[in-house]
Amino acid sequence: MADRTTPGRPGASWSQARRADGLALRRAIPDRLLPVLVAAMAVLAAMALAGATGARILSARWTTGAASIVTVQVPRPDDPALVPASRPATPAGADAGTAPPALSRADAVLAALADVPGASRVHRLDKAELETLLSPWLGHDGDFALALPAVIELHLDRAGAMDADALAARLDARAPDTLVERNSLWSDRLGDLARSLQTCAILAVLIVVAVAAATIAATTRAGLGARRQAIELIHSLGATDGYIAGRFAGRTAVLAFTGGLIGSLLALPLLVLLSRLAAPFAGATAPAATVATTPGPSGWGRLLAALPLPLAVTLLSLAPAAALIGWLTTQITVRTWLRRLP
Amino acid sequence: MIRLRDVSFRYEGTARDGAREAVQGGAALRQLSFDVPQGGFRWLLGPSGAGKSSLLRLLHLAVRPTSGRMEILGVEMDQARRAGLARLRRRIGVVHQDFRLLPDLPVFDNIALPLRLQHRPEDEIRDEVLSILDWVGLRARAAARPPQLSGGEQQRVAIARAVIHRPALVLADEPTNALDDQQANRLMELFQDLAGLGTTIVVATHNDGLVRRYPSHELELAHGRLVRDG
Repeated sequence: MADRTTPGRPGASWSQARRADGLALRRAIPDRLLPVLVAAMAVLAAMALAGATGARILSARWTTGAASIVTVQVPRPDDPALVPASRPATPAGADAGTAPPALSRADAVLAALADVPGASRVHRLDKAELETLLSPWLGHDGDFALALPAVIELHLDRAGAMDADALAARLDARAPDTLVERNSLWSDRLGDLARSLQTCAILAVLIVVAVAAATIAATTRAGLGARRQAIELIHSLGATDGYIAGRFAGRTAVLAFTGGLIGSLLALPLLVLLSRLAAPFAGATAPAATVATTPGPSGWGRLLAALPLPLAVTLLSLAPAAALIGWLTTQITVRTWLRRLP
Repeated sequence: MIRLRDVSFRYEGTARDGAREAVQGGAALRQLSFDVPQGGFRWLLGPSGAGKSSLLRLLHLAVRPTSGRMEILGVEMDQARRAGLARLRRRIGVVHQDFRLLPDLPVFDNIALPLRLQHRPEDEIRDEVLSILDWVGLRARAAARPPQLSGGEQQRVAIARAVIHRPALVLADEPTNALDDQQANRLMELFQDLAGLGTTIVVATHNDGLVRRYPSHELELAHGRLVRDG
């Protein structure tokens, strides 16, 4: 073989400097299979994380939205309300003609609701709102023959801030047959469902992480087996466990990062689509509409900007997380393997 | 320096790579006690199967004693930690009987391995490697891969790799097997020079002629026991 020494820099063409330690990591851990596997895992993780994020957003919306509104129906709203037991209808010695007029049942309930601790707003639906509310069942002509109850919305600062039974008893004392609808019953169930979905999504992510770690560990072990002779030699020459593990871990971290990045890019359009489909349930406008008015980002950045912030952050963190998992898994695998050497 | 006291070693039957390394249950080394001072040169003699290679593996920290106390370059094996053993190995140069060169690395990089593991500057590594390539007469083969070399050339590469980092201890197992007389003599002169500079050297050999030409302190083994120390 001809001497390939470069004049003036002898040996430069032979040596690959720090890489020339015999580990030949490009052959030990090829750069095709692992990134593809990690990319697939990243897509699955992105889907599961999207599910978790979506469930969390819906749970929060249902808990702080519907559950924080109490609907009160007052039949015969214009009839006079009962006088509270603590206040006689006509005080002794007073002229009946000067006594304050009895409140209507609806007004009495409104007044009682205004005193509820934590109430942020009390709103009685007007005739137009009632017609809109009932039109799916009674039509749009607005000429209802039925005697409609007064419908009052009580907005609370936060869900569950009020004892609904106590409120119902108070209202019933002024306006018997008043109905208090506790939306929190349904929202609680929906919240439980959302939390269950969130838990399932997190479990799915954990399973994906475990499978990814197992895949990386198996790939690393195969690489260790392939380079066993070189590893044993440089170990006998004084290479520390940290050096050998670090070289392998650096390689898998780069490959896992690449796979994570590819997986994130593949998952991005799917997540944007899912976000758009889920937007109405989360009480948001469709992201596409937001994107259309947002200047600046284009291409992938524009797609990323279309995601809810928590999901975008999650997606951006996938590649570094994959690299970290790859690095840690390889460190543990290699150091464990090296323990067999003296 | 090297100090052994009642050191025995027994292979555990089957090695982890599946190869049977020794007769199961048989002791490879029994109750060895000897000293080699700093800068000392020792011939390690004995028939095949006497335990020479096992003793060299023990001294190179490739295996641990089954019993007894062993001190290598001031480090007690009983108390040595794993990271400490790695540091210790960097102070030892070994010429294996089967050379143990990495077939996919050029000669240059095979020889440079000990220096790279010490994180020496690349300029310094290049100068050192080229210098020793000149000494072993292989500068023209620096870019060759070991499978392209003859047995004698591979042995010279192994010798170069063993001494390039100026180790405190050199262990050589039949280092002149594939060398002609002239090359063997040059190697022995190098070992004597290194010993003169304070390097401790242990050479296992069957080459009686070489031992006669370069008489020195002998450690002779038979059936794993030290039968002569002098």
